[in-house]
Amino acid sequence: MAESDDTAPDLDAVSERKGLRALVNTLLVETRSVMPAAGATGLSLVLVIAAMCFLASLALGAALSVAHVTAGWTSDLSGAITIEVKQSNEMSSDEQVRAILYILSDTKGVKSARALTKEDVTALLEPWLGAGNVTDDLPLPHLIDVRIDANAPPDLIALSDAISMAAPGAVLDTHRQWQAQLLHAARAAEFLAYAVLLVVTATTIAIITFATRAGLSANREVVEVLHLTGARDKFIAAEVQRHFLHLGFRGGLIGLVLSVATFLLLGLQSGGTAGEPSLFMLPVSGLRLGDYPALIGVPVAAALVAVLTARITVMRTLHRLL
Amino acid sequence: MRYGMGPEVLRDVSFHLAPGSFHFLTGPSGAGKTSLLKLMFMASRPSRGLITMFGRDIATLPRDELPDLRRRVGVVFQEFRLLDHLTTYENVALPLKIQGRTEASYRADVRELLAWVGLGERMQARPPTLSGGEKQRAAIARAVVAQPDLLLADEPTGNVDPEMGKRLLRLFMELNRLGTSILIATHDQALVSEAGAPELVLKGGRLTVRG
Repeated sequence: MAESDDTAPDLDAVSERKGLRALVNTLLVETRSVMPAAGATGLSLVLVIAAMCFLASLALGAALSVAHVTAGWTSDLSGAITIEVKQSNEMSSDEQVRAILYILSDTKGVKSARALTKEDVTALLEPWLGAGNVTDDLPLPHLIDVRIDANAPPDLIALSDAISMAAPGAVLDTHRQWQAQLLHAARAAEFLAYAVLLVVTATTIAIITFATRAGLSANREVVEVLHLTGARDKFIAAEVQRHFLHLGFRGGLIGLVLSVATFLLLGLQSGGTAGEPSLFMLPVSGLRLGDYPALIGVPVAAALVAVLTARITVMRTLHRLL
Repeated sequence: MRYGMGPEVLRDVSFHLAPGSFHFLTGPSGAGKTSLLKLMFMASRPSRGLITMFGRDIATLPRDELPDLRRRVGVVFQEFRLLDHLTTYENVALPLKIQGRTEASYRADVRELLAWVGLGERMQARPPTLSGGEKQRAAIARAVVAQPDLLLADEPTGNVDPEMGKRLLRLFMELNRLGTSILIATHDQALVSEAGAPELVLKGGRLTVRG
């Protein structure tokens, strides 16, 4: 935006820049436009777009991160099922456990099965009931922890039937319900993140539309002179959208840097002992290396959105003039 | 033609400018000279009547065909209408830039023209820092730089001394010699007699031809 008075005619050097450098220059160095730059609104508009891109990057990062976490859960939980043996009048618990272990040892797809000892169950309950509060007269169920081959799982319905036939009062818990609820929460968080992304995009479009309209009406005189000199709407739009290309890209870069810093910080924290930071009660453990390219898409998308919005707005606004 | 619901500013105005002709447009202030020029450079459309430019009826011309026609018309606005944020050089080069020409192809021509109208030293100055006369010359340079088929000038010598006035008239005549039709609205009778060109006189919204 800062233009010195001697830029115009001495552009010999510009034509010599080529390739990547030319591209970088196009994106970062704004050449003088025939349309006056937005002037004072330029910086504030960059900041607004930066804020929008920061939010967009956060939302996108959160969505990706949540997707990773849930993918992990699905594979973790699918590998484990639990059989709960309730006390029954027909058989003693130990007999039931023995019968079930016998069935499991004969079932394909079961990697291992282990009956939890009373101490194990007590250890599981202590965090809730308090140490020493698990008394002997508390009717504790017997639990059998079963590891199954997630790639070739056993027929769980048949297994469930077989178990309840052999041991009345035994229930196969596939963790499905727990898993479904967790996944549901995660999907909701992911959906929310994408919704934020959508709202941020829509807001950006609205802001740029207003800024473009304001710029055009502030420069009505310039537009009229350009028209009378034979400029097509496309020419004016090109001049205006060049300005917004820079605004969008600069704002996007600032937002990207801020959001990457935020994610790196989150990643550092989760590396520590204080437990993972969370988003909507779901752990957000930084970003994977493979996610950063997606974030780099944010400033590019911002520049694209800015350019397209400005172009469409200019074309539509000018069409209403003579 | 009329503005809004106001009275008709121009009526029963009928004339034909032959290609390559040179005319003055005179008449008392408020006679409608500027309005007539506005119709001719297509800033306004007539409320009735027929205006044909380069064989096209401009009252019914579709919007997207206007630019092509406007590029064939150079205009010197009475109030100059230079773009304040651009340098004098950029202002003068604007019509060429709008035509999509590269800067390399016109830089020398623009510089030469600027030197010719006495603005060689003021190329990098912005219009707000120019004097009235300098602005006028920049506006004229912008109007003629693309060698239009028709040049419309509204009081082009109103802000310059008689010496510069004559110099600018020579520029117009030179342009005319190269095939551009010229129509100059002016109060300057000395300029009219100097050029010896026919005069269109607007009075009370009606037009008569003298000379």
